[in-house]
Amino acid sequence: MRTKKSSSFQKYKGFLLEPSIQNFFTGRIWARETTPFPKEKIDIYIKRGLLKIKPAIGEGPVCHRCLNKEKKQFIFYHCARCQKVCTYCRYCIQMGRMSSCTELLTWNGPLPKLNSYHSLVWKSRFTPLQEKVSIELTESIKQGRSHLVSAVCGAGKTEILFTAIHDALNEKKRVCVATPRTDVVLELAPRFAEVFPQTTVQALYGGAPQSCMYAPLIIATTHQLYRFEQAFDIMIVDEADAFPYTYDASLQQAVQKAKKEQAPIAFVTATPTSELLELKKTGGYSFIPSRYHGHPLPVPRFSSLWGYDKSIKKKRIPKKLKEWTEKRIAENEPFLIFFPTIELMQQAIPLFRQLDSKIEAVHAEDSDRKEKVLHLRNREIKGLLTTTILERGITIKNVQVAVVGAESKIFTASALIQISGRVGRNKDFPAGDIVFFHHGMTVEMDMAQEEIKRLNKEGFPSA
Amino acid sequence: MLKEVHNCLLCQKPLQTQVSWLTFFERFPPIICADCEGKFELSADTDPDHRSLYQYNEPMKDFLHRYKFLYDVVLAKVFQRKLHDLLKNEKRIIVAVPMHPEKLLERTFSPVEELLNAAKISYTPLLEKTTTDTQSKKTREERLNTPQLFRTAGEVKAAHYVVFDDIYTTGTTIEHAKRALLEAGAKSVASVTLIRG
Ligand SMILES: [Zn+2]
Ligand SMILES: [Zn+2]
Ligand SMILES: [Zn+2]
Repeated sequence: MRTKKSSSFQKYKGFLLEPSIQNFFTGRIWARETTPFPKEKIDIYIKRGLLKIKPAIGEGPVCHRCLNKEKKQFIFYHCARCQKVCTYCRYCIQMGRMSSCTELLTWNGPLPKLNSYHSLVWKSRFTPLQEKVSIELTESIKQGRSHLVSAVCGAGKTEILFTAIHDALNEKKRVCVATPRTDVVLELAPRFAEVFPQTTVQALYGGAPQSCMYAPLIIATTHQLYRFEQAFDIMIVDEADAFPYTYDASLQQAVQKAKKEQAPIAFVTATPTSELLELKKTGGYSFIPSRYHGHPLPVPRFSSLWGYDKSIKKKRIPKKLKEWTEKRIAENEPFLIFFPTIELMQQAIPLFRQLDSKIEAVHAEDSDRKEKVLHLRNREIKGLLTTTILERGITIKNVQVAVVGAESKIFTASALIQISGRVGRNKDFPAGDIVFFHHGMTVEMDMAQEEIKRLNKEGFPSA
Repeated sequence: MLKEVHNCLLCQKPLQTQVSWLTFFERFPPIICADCEGKFELSADTDPDHRSLYQYNEPMKDFLHRYKFLYDVVLAKVFQRKLHDLLKNEKRIIVAVPMHPEKLLERTFSPVEELLNAAKISYTPLLEKTTTDTQSKKTREERLNTPQLFRTAGEVKAAHYVVFDDIYTTGTTIEHAKRALLEAGAKSVASVTLIRG
C-alpha cells in the first residue's frame, strides 16, 4: 500500500495545493464539519473555490449523500443550530447525520498527478475457462461496456479481475471494487495490495482507519460509496446479489452516484438474480460453472433435527448435531455452524463449549469477528458458531459446515448456496460435509440443492 | 377500518396497527415494535428521592448511542408514553437538567428536554450549565472536587422540585442540580431519570 513519492506540490492559480487535501477530496463528497483537516485550512480552500459547498439536504427533500427521497425517512424538528425547522435523513444516519444545516464539500480543483505505471505481481495459474473469462471481462471494460460474471463459489473470481484492473490503472483510471460486506473487504484488500505492490490500495468500511492518500484502487463496502461522487472510471460490484444489496435500491443508487456517468460496471456473483441476468442482453456475460481446482461443488445433504430450538432452550444440543460436532473435533476438522438467529446461537454457545472450550461464536456486531475467523483459519480454535454474516467471502481450508434451522426464512436459496460454497475450496481438500439440519423441508432448501447439482452438471457434462 | 403501516423506529420492522376510532383518543400510538420494547429493562428502583424508569443494558446503550451521539432526535418518542404516565400527575415543579449553550449548538438539540417534549410534560427552565466539561470523562477524585456545575436562572420559589435527566450514573450531575436549587431557596428537590446507569 505505497505510492511513489509525489514529486512536488501542485500549483494552481498561484496557490500551492497541499497534496493531502487534494488527494483526500478528489472524488469524495464529505461533510464540512468532519474533515480530517483544520477548519481554517478548509475555509481557505472554500474561499479560493477549490472546494464546492452543497447543502446535505436538497429540495424535495432529497439527501445528497445517500440520494434517499423517501418522505418517511426525513425527520423535521426545531434545530438549535440553525434556529428554525431543520430536516435530517435517517436513511444514512449511521454514517453521521446529514441535516439541512450540514454542508457537503466536493473537490473543484485540478486532479492529482497520477501514476501510469502499476505492476501486477502475480503468477497466473488460470484454468482455460478462467483465462477466457478474464479476457472477456477485460475486453468489455476496455469498450466501456458493463459485464456480468457468473461464477460458482470457489471459481477464483478475484483473480479474474486482476488483468482488467491492471489495464485500467495503467491508463490512469480509478477503480472501485465494492461489496456489501465488510468481511469481503477485509479479505480482498490485502490480496489486491499484494498483487499491486506499487499501487495505493485503500480499504473502506465502517471504522476503517482514515488515509489522506489518493488511492487509484479502492475496496469498499457499498455503504462507503455514499461518500463518493463521480469518482470512479470502473466499478466492480463483487457478490452483487448479497444481502442487503439486492433489497436496497439506495445502495444501487450509491453505485451509480459514486461512478462517473459513462463508467462501466462489472458484476461478479455466484448467484445472479434474474434482474442481473437481464444484463446479458446489453452488456457482456461470462459464466464459470466449475471451481478452479476442477472438482465439483459439494452437494448439501438434508438431515431432520426436529424441535432443535426447544432442545437448545432446554440446554441440550440435539443428538445428531452433537454427534456431527464431536466427529469434527475428533477428526480435527475446522467447522462452521450457521444459526438462524443471534439469540439461539447465544443460547447454544455455552453448550458447545462443554464439548470443547475452543469453540467461539460470531455475529454482525461482534468487534472481534476478524480475529475469530483468523483463529479458525490458523486452527487455534476448533470451530465457530455464526449467523449468516459469514455466509460468503471467507475461505478456510478443509472446513466442514452445518446449517441449523435451514428451514428458517433467513436461509434463502441464495444464502444456502453461498454457505455451501464455503466447503471444499482448497485443492488439497476439494470435498467436505455440508449438512442442512432442519425442522421441515423448504422450497428454498430444495432450490439450493438443485442449483448446485445443475452447476455441477454444467461444469462436468460427462459426469 | 383504516389500516396504516408504520415502521418500528428502532428496527424498521413494519408495525401493523389497526387504526380504529379508539386510536384518535390515544395520545401516543405505538412507534416501536413489541420485540424492541421487550428488550428494555424496567428499573426496580424504590428510592423515594430518586426514581429511574429503566435499567441500563445493551439495547439501552444502543438507544443512547443513536439518540445522543448520532443525533437521531425522533428517538425521543421511544419512551414518550412511559414518561408521560410517570410524570403526568407530578405536582412538584419539573426542572430539566440543561446543557451548556455551546454544547447545544454542537448537538443541535437537547436530548433531555426533547424527552419531556415528546412525552408532553411541561418543565421550567430554572438552571443553566456553567461548564462544557462532561462528567463521564473524569476520575472519581475529579468528580468529587468539581466546582458547581449549574447556576439558577430566574427566581426559585420556596416550592418542591423534581430535576429530570436522561441518565443517572455517578450522581454528580443530579447532586449539583439539586444543590443549586436548594441553595436558591427550594423546599425540597427530588430527581427522576430515564435510565439508571
Ligand atoms: Zn441520507
Ligand atoms: Zn439545523
Ligand atoms: Zn423494533
